[in-house]
Amino acid sequence: MRISTSWTYQQSLNTMLSQEAELSNTQNQVSTGNAINVASDNPTGASQIVGLSHILAENTEYTNNMGSANTRLSTETSTLTSVSNLLDSVNDLALGSINGSMSSTDMSNMATQLTQMRNQLVQLANTSDANGMALFAGTSTTTTPFVQNASGSVSYAGNNQQAYTTIGEGLQVANTDSGSSVFMNIPAGNGSFVASAPASNTGTLVVGTNSVTDTNAWSAANAAGPVNDTITFGAGGTYAVTDSAGNPVDDASGNPITGTYQDGDSISFNGVSVTMSGTPAAGDTVNVQADTGSNNQDVFTTLNNMITALQSGSSSTAFDNTMNRQLEALNQAMGSVNNTQVAVGSRIDTVQAQQSSDADLSLTYKSALSDVQNVDMATAISNLSLQSTALQASQQVFAKVQGLTLFSYLQS
Amino acid sequence: MSSMLSIGISGINAAQVALATVSNNIANASTAGYSDESVNQVQALTQSNGQLTIGNGVNVVGVQRAYSQYLTSAVWSTNSGMQGATTMNGLTSTLNSLLSNSGNLQTSLDSFYSGFSTVASSPSSSSNREAALGAASSLASVYNTLGQQLTQQSTAVNGQIGDTVTSINSLASQIATLNGQIGENSSSNAPNSLLDERDSLVQQLSGLTGMSAVSESNGSISVYTSSGQALVSGAQSYALSTGGNQYDPTSTDVFDSAGNDITSQLTGGTLGALISYRSSVLQPAQNQLGQSAIALASSVNGQQAQGLDLNGKQGQPIFSVGSPAVLPSSNNSTGGATVTASISNVSQLTTSNYILSYTGTGTGTNGWSLSTTGGQSVSLTANPDGSLSGDGLTFAVSGTAQKGDSYEIEPTSNAATSLSVSMTNPDGIAAAAALTATAASGNTGTGVVGSVGVTDATNANLLSGASVKFGAAGAYTITDGNGNTTTGTYTAGQPITADGWSLTLTGTPASGDSFNVAVNTNGLNDGSNATSLAGLADVGVLDGGKTTVVDSYANLTTQIGTAGSQAASDLTTQTNLYNQAEGAQQSVSGVNLNQEAANLVQYQQAYQASAQVISTAQQLFTSLITAIQDGS
Repeated sequence: MRISTSWTYQQSLNTMLSQEAELSNTQNQVSTGNAINVASDNPTGASQIVGLSHILAENTEYTNNMGSANTRLSTETSTLTSVSNLLDSVNDLALGSINGSMSSTDMSNMATQLTQMRNQLVQLANTSDANGMALFAGTSTTTTPFVQNASGSVSYAGNNQQAYTTIGEGLQVANTDSGSSVFMNIPAGNGSFVASAPASNTGTLVVGTNSVTDTNAWSAANAAGPVNDTITFGAGGTYAVTDSAGNPVDDASGNPITGTYQDGDSISFNGVSVTMSGTPAAGDTVNVQADTGSNNQDVFTTLNNMITALQSGSSSTAFDNTMNRQLEALNQAMGSVNNTQVAVGSRIDTVQAQQSSDADLSLTYKSALSDVQNVDMATAISNLSLQSTALQASQQVFAKVQGLTLFSYLQS
Repeated sequence: MSSMLSIGISGINAAQVALATVSNNIANASTAGYSDESVNQVQALTQSNGQLTIGNGVNVVGVQRAYSQYLTSAVWSTNSGMQGATTMNGLTSTLNSLLSNSGNLQTSLDSFYSGFSTVASSPSSSSNREAALGAASSLASVYNTLGQQLTQQSTAVNGQIGDTVTSINSLASQIATLNGQIGENSSSNAPNSLLDERDSLVQQLSGLTGMSAVSESNGSISVYTSSGQALVSGAQSYALSTGGNQYDPTSTDVFDSAGNDITSQLTGGTLGALISYRSSVLQPAQNQLGQSAIALASSVNGQQAQGLDLNGKQGQPIFSVGSPAVLPSSNNSTGGATVTASISNVSQLTTSNYILSYTGTGTGTNGWSLSTTGGQSVSLTANPDGSLSGDGLTFAVSGTAQKGDSYEIEPTSNAATSLSVSMTNPDGIAAAAALTATAASGNTGTGVVGSVGVTDATNANLLSGASVKFGAAGAYTITDGNGNTTTGTYTAGQPITADGWSLTLTGTPASGDSFNVAVNTNGLNDGSNATSLAGLADVGVLDGGKTTVVDSYANLTTQIGTAGSQAASDLTTQTNLYNQAEGAQQSVSGVNLNQEAANLVQYQQAYQASAQVISTAQQLFTSLITAIQDGS
């Protein structure tokens, strides 16, 4: 075939130009480390990069969220530990005040001590997180959810909601507990009912430990409405139980509950057992009232009640009864704090478990991203040397071929 | 003797012409468009002296160029393909670089969404809100930058279409002039240089637009566009012209000499590539980007309205985005109808542009029909208020349209450039849930509030507050703050809805129980709506709720990337085809220097030999004279 000389030159040149272009492309890949510099390098890969980078960005977002949730929950758990310790001290103090012959000065000192503890409790309940947000305000913006009034009573200005943090795709964890659930809505008495002796009693009867012993009987008794029964003592410790309408309360066999009480006995009916000590005077009563939610007593009221009783400055049956009831309430409050503690602990566990799986996922996605995005250096460098060798070869061939002309032999 | 001399001279003359031709070939060895020439020699007419016929030397009858019409046509047509592919590749690689250099939309989208996540973790922190709003601004500016770059490219492409048409016209008129000159000369020897020049011009023209060339019997070449219009016929050329599109004056269309719009029929060459790039790559990319901007704005603004801002007010839009462009045809009747378009359903929004045309009463839907600019018909439904809806768009018509009036609707093309942040105060971010529901304290049933959510943020009574009071057998009455009542019967697990909210209960409410739904003004430190805003990153907005905003960007990346890689591989193919055709044509018409060297030697020797013939004749003559002188 006949070959056009200028076309031969043009072709060799084109070959070298395209080899140079490939070489420069490979060089670019090696120097940037990216296999895809513009979307047209690999359209599918480019869209995969968008998807994978998006997932990674979300994972980073979750990691940040978990970090802040963790901080907030840790603050909460340490605050709750302080609250728990404080309530333990209150408990010790209150226990010491009963069953002893305390002077009125001692009682007054105790009242002062308790007042300080109450103030400290209010302060703890108003603890803020790193962002200055109150831990126990629910989702309210208030920074002091617990407002102490002049009388010493405390009202709650937050709300009952919980705030949640997203820590994974569709996975949320509460990062707060509302102050009302921790400090305010404390079930009355032992959690099921309150057994209380009114201050108008004239005997030395003190209501001691009391509890539900038969949950079925207790539920049955509450079926028609919350139990609100009264034990009324007659002469010589005899007693009868009436309901809120004044009708006798019957036992399982349908007989009215009556009996004779002796110091230290417990009286049982409707599945509850109330232990008492001391001697009732005729006409003395003990009231047994179920927890209805509306007779909740917040922990600050409990402390205030103790303070008021201590400030009255006299050991008496009424004082002992009051302190017993407040100790019961205090136990419920401690229970509430402990329950919250457990819940917070399990949330921290969830966050930490998620953190580690999140880290694993990030690693997986990063390696998938790197597979698409990053150039395989070994391949790229071997390509680089292959392409530069090919270019050199082309150049040498060109130099050889361009000398091959008949004219060079015709020179005389 | 005399014949020997004249034969020798004819040989010398022929060798001289041949040597000149070889010299010219060598001189033009690298001239573009030059065809190798060779000398056509014939034996001179012989004379008979009665007994013998003796040759009478050589005649040069012509200098012929090496030429193959078939191979040259192949070069022209492959040149159209290659120039078109080169233009397309240049434009798409620019587009790909634009995409990678104008800021990464995915990164901006993710920082924007995670900004809300940070707000959710501490909703009353103003610094977090500032940061989130800042991320919204940078996101909008990335959209703007990308959108503006695409608009600029569109402007540049329209300009290039005009320039290319100018070049086409100039080439066509030069070809016509050459046709005329060649025709005048055709009686005499073929004007090789003119033919070469004309071929070269036709080749340049083939690079600008797809065309077909027909050789006429009178030696002229007629040139037709890919749409069949004559550009050159004999010595006459017909100019193309450019002008604004009937709908969009900023878009350059091409018209033939009779004034018909032939834009969509032109293929091949630079012009075909520009037109095809504009309609099949650039416009879809603009629309895809715009669709993503609209999806972003509508999903974020929609979620905003479902929450309360830091002032306890219902959330206002964060983004504003331009409404669909309605471009009436310049052919529309004067004083006709005015059409406005709005997006009524983002999940049905496509990346198409549409033509809405009035076909007269009794046809279409209320006389109107809708199709994509690609010609695909789209069904329209008439709304009770007289407006028309189709493909997620709603059209309102005022005034009276005449049959034949049409409007181009571009729902998404300008959205990316018009996206802006309309919120100025970071407190406006609606981080908190709009509503809160509580059970009344005296409830005796086991009903507990599960959740309360917003289903229709546009309901006027949404934030009026309401109480749900249960009667016997699950019957309930809802009384809202504006005194409206709704009744219903509760089914376990089913939400209770009214006034645009939806309340989910668990357990069984007893007769007499009530639940209150109220504005969450006491819970502004709640971040649940901010969490939902952050969660929009994974919420499908487009294509019936299947495609997220990030997906939409990924699709754009694939779309632009594919256009780029296709153009690159097409360029390789077209270049190879052209090289093959050019190589084949050059193997016929190109100059081979070795061949010329051989010819040079050959004709040099022929010259020398002819000179020797003359010298011999002279010697013979001399010896004859000498013999006569000696004999006298």
